[in-house]
Amino acid sequence: MTPLLASLDVTFKALAPRSGDWQAILPEICVAGLGLLCLLQALILPATQRWLIPATTRVGLALIMVMSLVPVSYWNSSEPTFAGLLMPHLPLIGVRLVFLFSALLTSLLAESFLRERQASVPDYHHVLLIITSALMLLGQANHFVTFFVCLETAAVGLYILVGYLRRSAASLEAGVKYLVMGGLSSALLLMGIVLVYGSLGSLGVKDPLNFVEIQVAIEAGKFTALTLVGTALILGGAAFKLGAFPFHTWIPDVYQGAPTPTTALLATASKAAGAFSLFLLVNVPFHGLAVRTAPLLAVLTVITILVGNLGALATTNIKRVLALSGVSHAGFLLAIITVSLVQPEASAIKWSAADTLWVYLLAYIVGTFLTTQALLAMPTAEDHHRPILALRKLFRRSPILAGALGFGLSSLAGVPPTVGFAAKLLVLILLVQAKLWWVLGAALIGVTISIHYYFSILREAVIRPSDDNEEVAVLPTSGLVRFIIGFLAAVTVLGSLLIFI
Amino acid sequence: MEHTTLAHHLLLAGLLFVIGLTGVLIRRNLLVVYMCLELMLTAATLALVAFSRFNHLMDGAVLVFFVITVAAAEVAVGLALIVALFRQRGTVQSDALNSLHD
Repeated sequence: MTPLLASLDVTFKALAPRSGDWQAILPEICVAGLGLLCLLQALILPATQRWLIPATTRVGLALIMVMSLVPVSYWNSSEPTFAGLLMPHLPLIGVRLVFLFSALLTSLLAESFLRERQASVPDYHHVLLIITSALMLLGQANHFVTFFVCLETAAVGLYILVGYLRRSAASLEAGVKYLVMGGLSSALLLMGIVLVYGSLGSLGVKDPLNFVEIQVAIEAGKFTALTLVGTALILGGAAFKLGAFPFHTWIPDVYQGAPTPTTALLATASKAAGAFSLFLLVNVPFHGLAVRTAPLLAVLTVITILVGNLGALATTNIKRVLALSGVSHAGFLLAIITVSLVQPEASAIKWSAADTLWVYLLAYIVGTFLTTQALLAMPTAEDHHRPILALRKLFRRSPILAGALGFGLSSLAGVPPTVGFAAKLLVLILLVQAKLWWVLGAALIGVTISIHYYFSILREAVIRPSDDNEEVAVLPTSGLVRFIIGFLAAVTVLGSLLIFI
Repeated sequence: MEHTTLAHHLLLAGLLFVIGLTGVLIRRNLLVVYMCLELMLTAATLALVAFSRFNHLMDGAVLVFFVITVAAAEVAVGLALIVALFRQRGTVQSDALNSLHD
């Protein structure tokens, strides 16, 4: 063996995964396995038993949710695994719950939607599960290789799900727009990673892609102007996923054109991925640059909240309202990230900044899916054309759907006693503790504006009097839809108790 | 070749990156825009290999394989989307993408 091969042999043996490494990512492996099972089932099941595929996915996801809640050390270890590729810096249970919950709800919404449009159900579920698995790993990334690969796996999967309806020009247009904007952001992100890698490598850092090593190097003052440029590009890439100002311009078009279940997935899972990765990046590898990043994040928080809310105010398509209000929710997530830098010890009730991040995301998921479910149950010729006016008389046509809309929008707006209110309160408490008064002011203004536009939707559906006394067609809802709405409405009310106790 | 330094490689990579970025921003044909996106990824890959070689570090070279894989997956999905869009609209000019608005 030549000396080079011998040294490579030693390196690879040192890097080889140990048995504990695989246990640590067992929930992620199960989700990916479930995704492969979908394809297998699609191959072998006769057409009459195809209903088993989404059913298996849901049962599987629910079981994995229970599994990741079990506090055993196998898959909750805080040690670095796979030679430092993975290391949970964020609360693992929270990260897993957020992605699993949003995948489960997307599956529940997608099935009948896809059937009505003659689109393949198994393929959608397969891609959905692969995205979920990648995002769950992204939340534990400790290395830029893991970070990049997981982020891109999820991004490519989302391009597919956005452009999923091949016969719909709107879906394809949204897919292509997302593809070009996403491709641009990932190219800039990759260049950022390369610049950080190169500039730190030139200064003699041993493994300049490892988050912890980058943190140690930067805190020791080892960085150049090139590192700062790279950092800015990387944070920009994460902010794109989150949909924070100034990277929010893709959001309204893509959310509007995407199939509605995918819109809900984009709003929750993709936003969560952006929030978690941004939190991770500013708190681990680039923690030494907090003096520079914290003020920048604070300014972006204020602008993001205001831009999102003002944009939503002037919009008449419900999907675009949800998109732009999502931008303002991204602002609240940014506020939590800012607090984690300014005042790391801050905690609201019993939740630290990192915990508040996933609690806020869970509350946002509940509100988003309730609203989306109400939208999906309304008949429409074109999925992207959903004007607020179409909701008129909804209360008389279907009190259940109007109720879903009421609970969902109240939670998104943050009206007590919903879980959305509890989550927003946590953010406000954190902001008070960090003494970020002007961010707090912007957040309060944002909440006020958002109550206006959320309730103008609700007014259209519930209060608005109709001039004529003609009979309106009753909208039938299936048992599954009633179950989802009942479950999520219960979570909306009980969730706030869970947060406070 | 003894005189090629890290700076030369980075200059070339930077040039490719800027060409790609300019193309993405100013070109109207979606296929050309997509080629420019790939050019940006290639530029980043070149810089990665150069840094890896001149800093005597291996992991950059490993990341290159992942980048190539990711780019291949992205192209597969991207071209499928663009072809499907062409079948619907009969054009791949980005000006034609105007059906989504309030």
